[in-house]
Amino acid sequence: MARTQQTGTEIPPPRDPAAPHTPPPARTRPRNRPQPRLWTWLLLPGTLWMTGFLVASLLLVATLALGTTDPLGNPRFGLNFANLTALADPAYRTVLLRSLGYALITCLISLAVAYPVAYAIALRGGRFKNLLIAAIVVPFFANYLVRMYGWSVVLSDDGPLLRTLRAIGLADDGTQILQTGVGVIAGLVYGFVVFMIIPLYAAMERMDTSLIEAGRDLYGGPLRTFLFVTVPATRQGAAAGCVLVFLPAMGDFVSAQLMGGPDQIMIGNLIQDKFFQGQNWPLGSALTMLLMAVLFLGMLGYLRRTRKDEAEATR
Amino acid sequence: MSPEALPPTRRSFLRAGTAAALALTATGCGFASADDPAGRATAEAPIDVKVDGDLVYFNWADFVDPAVFEGFQKEYGVKVVQSNYDSMEGMAAKLNAGNRYDIIFPTAKWAERLTAGGRLRTIDHSRLRGAEAVFGGYGYFADPWYDPRSAHTVPFTMYKTGIGWRRDRLGDLTGSWNDLWNEQAKGKVFVLDDRDEVLGLGALKLGLGLTTGDHGDLARVTDTLRSLRPRLRGFSSDSYNNLLNGNADMTQAWSGDMAAMLAQAEDPTVFGFEVAREGAPVNSDCYAIPANAEHPGTAMLFIDYMLRPENVKKNIEYIGYPMPVRGTEDTYAALVEPFPQCVVTADDLGADLFFRNGDARVEQARDAAWTDVKAG
Repeated sequence: MARTQQTGTEIPPPRDPAAPHTPPPARTRPRNRPQPRLWTWLLLPGTLWMTGFLVASLLLVATLALGTTDPLGNPRFGLNFANLTALADPAYRTVLLRSLGYALITCLISLAVAYPVAYAIALRGGRFKNLLIAAIVVPFFANYLVRMYGWSVVLSDDGPLLRTLRAIGLADDGTQILQTGVGVIAGLVYGFVVFMIIPLYAAMERMDTSLIEAGRDLYGGPLRTFLFVTVPATRQGAAAGCVLVFLPAMGDFVSAQLMGGPDQIMIGNLIQDKFFQGQNWPLGSALTMLLMAVLFLGMLGYLRRTRKDEAEATR
Repeated sequence: MSPEALPPTRRSFLRAGTAAALALTATGCGFASADDPAGRATAEAPIDVKVDGDLVYFNWADFVDPAVFEGFQKEYGVKVVQSNYDSMEGMAAKLNAGNRYDIIFPTAKWAERLTAGGRLRTIDHSRLRGAEAVFGGYGYFADPWYDPRSAHTVPFTMYKTGIGWRRDRLGDLTGSWNDLWNEQAKGKVFVLDDRDEVLGLGALKLGLGLTTGDHGDLARVTDTLRSLRPRLRGFSSDSYNNLLNGNADMTQAWSGDMAAMLAQAEDPTVFGFEVAREGAPVNSDCYAIPANAEHPGTAMLFIDYMLRPENVKKNIEYIGYPMPVRGTEDTYAALVEPFPQCVVTADDLGADLFFRNGDARVEQARDAAWTDVKAG
């Protein structure tokens, strides 16, 4: 309010009573004002649901981590710290670091893939925009497992990709994609890249395209304009995409299972094993807590970053 | 056996893909108790063999010929309500959560655990017309280790674990677990994604007990398996697809899956299946009726129906696993003619190389060893 009054005093509105000048902030202000109680009520069920189920399941996992398993495979609660000390096994550290690495690389590749796609659709899509977005999203309605299984067939030694590469001389008989790190990362990117494209697309849609023109006016080439104008203007979308890709990629176990070999096991595979093969739910829970602790650090970084961005934007 | 009858998504694929099951188990985890004397008394009461409702059936996906289901539904005027599991652990989790099924198909090891936990009804074999062909023909199952006198189970299938390989790429093998270390197959070797099977092959190669829980033994086993890692391409229970699509030159494999592969292979002669002379783990799936089954009478009828020789033969041809029913041996032998070692003999059963349950300490030691093997 103070600011409006100030503007009012500095630039006096034209003294024409027929066309009263309404300053822009006044137009947006009323949206925030009415019925704060209504919004609270609308938010309540979702918030309760999320906190209830998130907190309840977290507590369950945390207490299970201190439990044991009975002969029938039922988890039993207790105070057994063996599961936590078992995490000191260097095997877990290796696997955790590997998962972090794979998830990070997946983020970077997804960024590289998603930027041009989002850019092309948002700024050059024209009347095909919705169709193009649908073309990207609809295949992701198919079951993740089925798609990954299909992908593993595509990448197999006698599969269409390697057969084509061999035919045009880009690969020899010994070339493998499956059971290598490349295969796993290919699977992860294939699985999660859509989570990068959508937020980036949304950010580009919202972006003020006159900034790009301004960049060109200032003699920026296409690459410089992209790097110094488009990327900074859409960095919140990119950050959101990175979180949406990183979190599931870090915990994924299907890609490493179908596309990986003995040296590509990820933390998700170990957790899955504990729950399904060893029936060692307590140790699985302890591993889950470890994974969540690592992911929490990442989330914290993201939240601080977005808060800073918002603070800058509203300054 | 038509190829259409064998989609690539069977047990092994389902083992590989547990995403759905993870969600289901996570939501379905109850913590029911098995210590209930009244429940035990019901569990031991004899079951009247009569239709008492539709059959709620719980098994690996695609493990019974659909034609057999149809015949059963028509003859007894009931419906078969099917659901599937993708691991024994998943099956047990559903039972523990209190879900009610009329018939389940645990492996030997799980039959022992479920029996010990009071989770299974007793089955009076004298009420089953087909029981004689099973227990009279296969003495082993008259009093197996996992369920004394087979009081709660009837054996369903038998299988063993061996090595499947590409004859066209590797030629003949030597018939030993050492073949997995074959220099020619380097980088194209798979082992099953199964703790007991992989630790078991290491133990057998070293001449140790199949399900040892001794720390010294397990250290030797993990060392041996570590020496296999440079040759290893992966842990996968999808043995026959790996062979068929060329990813594997050699793979540890269940005999039943190899038999099922014969129906899919364009030229079966390029493949081989051998059983190691150091010993082959043997296993059996059983029919069992959970203690909380709502329609145990229909379940008894179903078991009896499944044991009719004509149905046994249909199922053998459909799933590729032999069944311990006297008079069906020729059907199986004809089916696996290219892989004669798939046949499970009385000697195989007598060797008794079953995976046994260990106490908590043993299971924990084996778990840690498996993590070491897998995570390297």
